[in-house]
Amino acid sequence: MNVLATLGAASLLTALATAVFAAGASVYGLRAGNVGLLRAGRRAVVVVALFTTLATVVLATALLRDDFSLAYVASVSSTDMLPHMKWAALYSSQTGSMLFWTWTMSLFLAAFTVLTLPRMPWGAAHATAASGVVLTVFLVALVFISSPFEASEFARPDGVGLNPLLVDKGMLVHPPALLTGLTSTAVPFVLSAAALLSGRIDGAWLRAVRHWALLSWLVLSAGNILGGWWAYTVLGWGGYWGWDPVENSALLPLLPLTAFLHSSMVQERRGMLKSWNFALIFATFALAVFGTFNVRSGLVASVHSFAQSMVGPYFLVVLAATLAGSVALLAWRSPRMKAEHDFDSLVSRETVLFLNNYVLTAIALIVLGGTLFPVFSELLRDARITVGPPFYNDIVGPLLIVLVALVGVGTSLPWRQAATETVVRRARMPLLVTAAATLALWLAGVRDGFAVAAVAASLFTAYVTLREFALGARGARRARAAQAREGAIGGSFAWLAAFGGLFDRDRRRYGGYLVHLGLVVMAVAVAGSNIYQTHVRVTVPPGGSFELGRYRVDYEGLERRAGTSNGIADETVARLQVRQGDSTVADLTPGRRNFLNFPGQPMAIVAVDTGWREDVYIFVQGWDDQGVAEFQAFINPLLLWLWVGAVVYTAGGLIAFAPVRAPARAPRELPAAPARQV
Amino acid sequence: MHSVRHPVFAIGRAVTAGLVGAIALVPAFVLAGALVIADESRDAGAQDLEAQALQIETQLLCPQCTNKRLDVCELAICDDMRKLIRERLAAGDAPGDIILFFSNRYGDRVLADLPKSGFNLVLFGWVGGSIALVALVGVFSLLRMRRSAQPVASGFEEGADQWLDEQIDAPEDRPPDRPSRGAR
Repeated sequence: MNVLATLGAASLLTALATAVFAAGASVYGLRAGNVGLLRAGRRAVVVVALFTTLATVVLATALLRDDFSLAYVASVSSTDMLPHMKWAALYSSQTGSMLFWTWTMSLFLAAFTVLTLPRMPWGAAHATAASGVVLTVFLVALVFISSPFEASEFARPDGVGLNPLLVDKGMLVHPPALLTGLTSTAVPFVLSAAALLSGRIDGAWLRAVRHWALLSWLVLSAGNILGGWWAYTVLGWGGYWGWDPVENSALLPLLPLTAFLHSSMVQERRGMLKSWNFALIFATFALAVFGTFNVRSGLVASVHSFAQSMVGPYFLVVLAATLAGSVALLAWRSPRMKAEHDFDSLVSRETVLFLNNYVLTAIALIVLGGTLFPVFSELLRDARITVGPPFYNDIVGPLLIVLVALVGVGTSLPWRQAATETVVRRARMPLLVTAAATLALWLAGVRDGFAVAAVAASLFTAYVTLREFALGARGARRARAAQAREGAIGGSFAWLAAFGGLFDRDRRRYGGYLVHLGLVVMAVAVAGSNIYQTHVRVTVPPGGSFELGRYRVDYEGLERRAGTSNGIADETVARLQVRQGDSTVADLTPGRRNFLNFPGQPMAIVAVDTGWREDVYIFVQGWDDQGVAEFQAFINPLLLWLWVGAVVYTAGGLIAFAPVRAPARAPRELPAAPARQV
Repeated sequence: MHSVRHPVFAIGRAVTAGLVGAIALVPAFVLAGALVIADESRDAGAQDLEAQALQIETQLLCPQCTNKRLDVCELAICDDMRKLIRERLAAGDAPGDIILFFSNRYGDRVLADLPKSGFNLVLFGWVGGSIALVALVGVFSLLRMRRSAQPVASGFEEGADQWLDEQIDAPEDRPPDRPSRGAR
């Protein structure tokens, strides 16, 4: 008997039983008014997290100890893999990633149970029951359908090893961030289900759910960004986002979640969009489940692989149940979700937030349609087609530009209503600057309509956002100066301190503005790198060279290195020197890596020289016995700014999420609109 | 009572606006420089046969991978396809004919750009329907809101954001209860 396999399987089975108990005790305790049962149910959610943690530790131990008697370990690990890659192997394949998914979800739900539930005077029992049900659903899949603790059917003394595509340090950050982001959406879902079940559809729900939704958004955003970075630096096709069905599945939940973070402000301030906000949270979780279903079921590869495992059909049922349950809950409680106010004016920030939600919804529907269409085509016509990047770029691209522009318009408009002169005053300078810059771009020779539109929208939003920071800091300095004049405080207030002080004053607001700034920088980088990418394919003998834009690349020859670990048999790299005029810009060594257990699957070693203006990106397609090599070389303009924007975006999210030092103010209800001035 | 605006405040505002504008303009010129250079280098190589072959490759996908462009796929089948593209171009075939050849051989799944015909129109219908539905719901909601919306009085300043207009437009010595310019 394998002790580790038994311990792991027993942990999962106990976790399942505990999750069922959590749900049952909460429901029965609520009906019977039994406080002891309710407390026990709550503790059971934490116990589930303990047992899934134990199961994860067991699988990690089996991986680190090369226990190839476990089928999963034998299929994803090998004796020569380094410990950190063995850890990455834990979530590298279906059953392991299911365990990782369930484990992180249970941790989130346990944290929610410990941190938030005790402060919730409403719906705590409903939330515990919902947590129990969600955990049960995933644990059933792990215990009965796809367990990582099944024994190997035949001996594999050294293990197969990690899929070559996954042998990279990026595996340590990208999949965990993405999976964690997806699983974290369970908390807003559970909170929303509890609010509807308990009938407490008010500000309390919003205050509780907002923070968790922001955390999910932050982690999910980071997961998607890291995915782009990984694709760019590892996969070797010159880009960072290919509108692949797996990428789409990761992006989809982020769209309604982003919409929620904006529309929740409208509910917070105006008591509007209640049912819409619930729908967005439900859609987020349903799309997270869809992502699991889409990727784990094999549906991405082919409809025919879907039925080979029970995982696909099971998650299809889970997805259908999630959707049906969400719709039923919303329909049941819709009479209680009447808006407390109406829009005072169409020219207001809430209107723009509304429009922002529409655009995000349209994008989500289009991406979902594009992702699923090949499946329907295969099902109905038995013809597999591909919905490639041009489809998304042509349709989603313009919508993203509209979205960026709306961010600027929304930021420049006040809440509730704005007089015409207010709108003019606020929009005058941003529009002038945008027009001037766009004209400058045009005169400088940038004639691509998409690029010009993207830059114009980005500039407008950048100006409006920077103005918020500048004026906020100026206001803070003036207030400080006034206090100093009155003798209340001493000393001056530097611009930098005033700027930093803004984040203390209102973290959500200024953190959000920072996110917008990051988005703008990323939008410009995406436009530049997509539209103005230079791509050459050349075949060069050793000692030869080729032109790449304004660079000359000298090819010295090939160099072979023996593999040392992680299943790598050997690596062959080409020594390249990138030159501009007489100076050397960079020494690059792109190549190929062969794997011991995957002889037919060499992996590209991508070489990138990153500059503030552009990246030089090269990989080797192949070579002959004389060392004559075929290179693919790209110039990707502004690519560095994509990552700079991503860092700003994430930093803004972190600031918005960080807890405030001062006691939180009660949500501000704005006074009613003043009587019309005559 | 109107307070007198000192010219120094107007200068201060202009300087602030100019600074913010300059900061916002920096990326525009960075972009302009990078893009113009990229554009030039792209045009320089666009004439030869290899560039034409590369252009065709970007419009085709690997028949075995999911969503992987032919020009960057490393599978042997893609190597063969790339060689065939060059042979056909050298033989004088038009790019459209070459793409059609591969589409006939492997099916529509090798086309990066989904043909807007036949069953595929369902997807474009879905896109159009999604946008139309979202737009209809949006217009309906906004019109409903507009019916109940109150007309905005000239000069009305909303409390929560008043500080922004004050910062944009008002001198330091403006009393807080002073009406905005529009009401004067």
